Amino acid sequence: MDNLENLAEYIIVEAKAQGAEYVHCVVRESEKREFNVDGGRFSLMRTLFNRDVAITVMKDGRKGSVHVNHFDEGEVYDAIAECIAASESAEPDPAWQFCDEPTEQTYVQGTPVCDTEKLFFRTKELLENIRERHPKILIEQMITSHDVYRSVYLNSNCVMYHPTTGSYSFSLMYSGHEGEKSTSFFGSDVTLANLDKPVIECALIDRELSEIEKQLDPEPLEGKFTGTVLLAPAALSEIVLGTIFGNFVSDSNLIEGTSIWKDKLGEMVADDRLTISQKATDEDVVIGSRVTGEGYPAENFDLIRNGRLVSFDLSQYGANKTGQKRAGCSTGNIFIPAGDQSLEEIIKGIERGVLVMRFSGGEPAPSGEYSGVAKNAFLIENGKIRCALTETMISGCVPDMLNSVRAISSDLLKDGSVSLPYIAFDGVTISGK
Amino acid sequence: MDTANEACLGLIVVFTELNGTLILQAVLQEDFMLDDILSVRKSAFAPGTHTELRGQLNRSRRVTLLSGSVVGNARSDISGVSARVYKNGTYGFSSMADYSLEAAEKVLHAASENADFMNIHAGAGKGPLPVLPRKTYRVQNGINDPAQKDYIDFAKALDAYAADHCPELISRVVVATEDSMEKLLLTSDGMDAHTILPRSYCYVFLTAQTPDGQPVELFKAFGGEGTFDLNFTDPSVWYPQIDNLYEHLMKKREGVYADAGLKTVILGGMMTGMLSHEAVGHTVEADLVLGGSVAGHCLNKQVASEKITLTDFANTAFGERCPLPVYVDDEGTKAQNVTLIKDGILVGYMNSRESAQHFGMEPRGNARAWLFSDEPLIRMRNTSVHPGKDKLEDMIASIDDGYYLIDSGNGQADTTGEFMFGVTMGYEIKNGKLGKALLDTTISGVAFEMLKTVDMVGDTVVWSSSGFCGKKQPMPVGMGGPALRCKVMIGGR
Repeated sequence: MDNLENLAEYIIVEAKAQGAEYVHCVVRESEKREFNVDGGRFSLMRTLFNRDVAITVMKDGRKGSVHVNHFDEGEVYDAIAECIAASESAEPDPAWQFCDEPTEQTYVQGTPVCDTEKLFFRTKELLENIRERHPKILIEQMITSHDVYRSVYLNSNCVMYHPTTGSYSFSLMYSGHEGEKSTSFFGSDVTLANLDKPVIECALIDRELSEIEKQLDPEPLEGKFTGTVLLAPAALSEIVLGTIFGNFVSDSNLIEGTSIWKDKLGEMVADDRLTISQKATDEDVVIGSRVTGEGYPAENFDLIRNGRLVSFDLSQYGANKTGQKRAGCSTGNIFIPAGDQSLEEIIKGIERGVLVMRFSGGEPAPSGEYSGVAKNAFLIENGKIRCALTETMISGCVPDMLNSVRAISSDLLKDGSVSLPYIAFDGVTISGK
Repeated sequence: MDTANEACLGLIVVFTELNGTLILQAVLQEDFMLDDILSVRKSAFAPGTHTELRGQLNRSRRVTLLSGSVVGNARSDISGVSARVYKNGTYGFSSMADYSLEAAEKVLHAASENADFMNIHAGAGKGPLPVLPRKTYRVQNGINDPAQKDYIDFAKALDAYAADHCPELISRVVVATEDSMEKLLLTSDGMDAHTILPRSYCYVFLTAQTPDGQPVELFKAFGGEGTFDLNFTDPSVWYPQIDNLYEHLMKKREGVYADAGLKTVILGGMMTGMLSHEAVGHTVEADLVLGGSVAGHCLNKQVASEKITLTDFANTAFGERCPLPVYVDDEGTKAQNVTLIKDGILVGYMNSRESAQHFGMEPRGNARAWLFSDEPLIRMRNTSVHPGKDKLEDMIASIDDGYYLIDSGNGQADTTGEFMFGVTMGYEIKNGKLGKALLDTTISGVAFEMLKTVDMVGDTVVWSSSGFCGKKQPMPVGMGGPALRCKVMIGGR
């Protein structure tokens, strides 16, 4: 059964016939064209033809889900039966709720047709540009691809979305090398709607390559001090955003009751210059989902607005469980508005601290406390980058950091999925050997 | 675990070697997930070109209970066919989500086209890969597929026990899961194979509060190789493990922050396993060596104390079956152990067929793929430091001021060998005795420097196998080791 709409409708009808009171499914076919570069040379070309069928049913208030990757009617029939059986094994839970306002949307995002020759050209050009501009950089691995997805989301309440999306993505893992000296590895990624310009000019790729090249002679930090940590977007995501979304505002920690922000809605939790949003439908997001997993239309929303916690990141299920409101979307398209200082101006104002491009740390504790290694880091002293650092640890507490914001950069990383600045935080413990 | 392993031994692998040209025999049992429909396509492989054709099914079952509520209840079956063709130093690959002869023909054709494209545009001008002897390898039986209700009932039993016997908890999460992969591999040379690797686990996460109201958490994974019905027959077998976890959690909630700095510590076997895998193992994967890892400059040099020997085991270690045994990899190479460090000297890398040719080494079965749509990458199998002769109690008694670090939540390492592990369970050592529990912290160091500080090695190896190694693709791996006394940087508050 190769017609996506017909297959989706068959699933709804058959699951209802097998006793489901509610059904939703995602039926999707996709193609990927991918080039791999390993150790600086081309190694592989891949062409993938995939299919996915994800079915969720509710029967007597009990939920079950299955995922298969075939469109054959017999196999889908078996998957529906398995899904029904799974739901019958579960406990009834009245908190499950799905969109019941009929809608039908058909839309196209990005570039659904792959220009394979141009993708190869841009990949090769990027390799050549890196060799010319950044001769000390060795590409450990580069994966470049075009992905096209044709999907149907349909539920038994007549909610239907029919997106066709296509995008190019470039993912680089690299390190600096000179003789036997080498730097820590770093990754740069970008998702693009088209291949109109050289990839090295996109996102922060050129700047990040330059920064890594400067880390070939790192020095160990002696002793321990409390200072300023200037987090680049990747480190900001790992430490601050990972803790907020992982520990404070999501379904699991609010349902469990382990979130330390469970009673903070409407209160100030951060510096009033800080706003954190999720924007699935922003124009800077190349491929953003228009529908939530429960069938509701995706909407942009502020999590923290001018320092105040104004929403949690809850699904409708989580909202029903906790008595709170559902979030507009949960797609990971996180946006933090730019500040008013350039990165250079922020560094000039720091007496002693570190610039951290990447963070390698343990899972943040539910309290928001964390510690780990400052990777691809520089020591800042008296307003200047003094040297690259090795074996330097940072530790702190995210809720405290949010109230110790020193500056937010006007420079933004826009990688086709998120829009994030550099942010400087005071009062972080920085320790060396 | 003993019961599970014995049961697994009954169904796992019969190794058959045949000379000359091989046609896989379709000896099928009812409980194989994949029928052999691909063997007839082997005659269509392009002559003189290394070709792999692989059919694969990945099966996943998962139930999640959050404080007693079933919040996750999902089953997944993903199957299809892929082909990979090697030509002059580059590969072409293609896959389809369709396990059929027609799909096999299409992916063989597309993989050849991709190999031609790469050869024309980026050919490395290399010759063919060294030929391997043709053999076959086949599991004898398939595996069971327990009903979803079995997962739910077992998870509920564990959850109910925790609810009844752990009064100070503020939340509980119990996950019951299985992920199994079955592969049918045909290669133009090397080994043809039909393999199954099932594994199943229950994860228990317990959360309590510190006296000042901060949540603290511990988790433990139970289980190992084998399907869920074999590993989890009686919930009460696992109750003592929950009691033990709760006991540690009660100490942890009264715990202290580690004092940051360079400290003498005892790494428990779980931590040594993480070190073996993350901090050393990845740096000696040949693709990462070619990508610039520190190990590229260290072959045949001392990188650790002479007390350290480290091996990536294929299927048998220290006379016993490995946690996740591998008998043949996805390039058709027979899996054998790879000695990485011997008596402190770096002596080997883990290779694919292509990287082995580059380094003049022997491929030993490290090229593995996660899904049918994934190409084989160089991966670890079961990586462990060899045991020494020291007793754990003597090692602890030898430290005046340090830490005993037992378990880790996660770990990451750099191609420079610089590593970081989260420490979720640990204790102070004061005057040779265990002291207060530690709150969550991290340790870090540079592997080839830190390993030189090892001066005591425990006599008992501890294995874990519940996680996934992340590279371009996830992959189930085993990792283990004995307790080590060494110096390492520990993060404080």
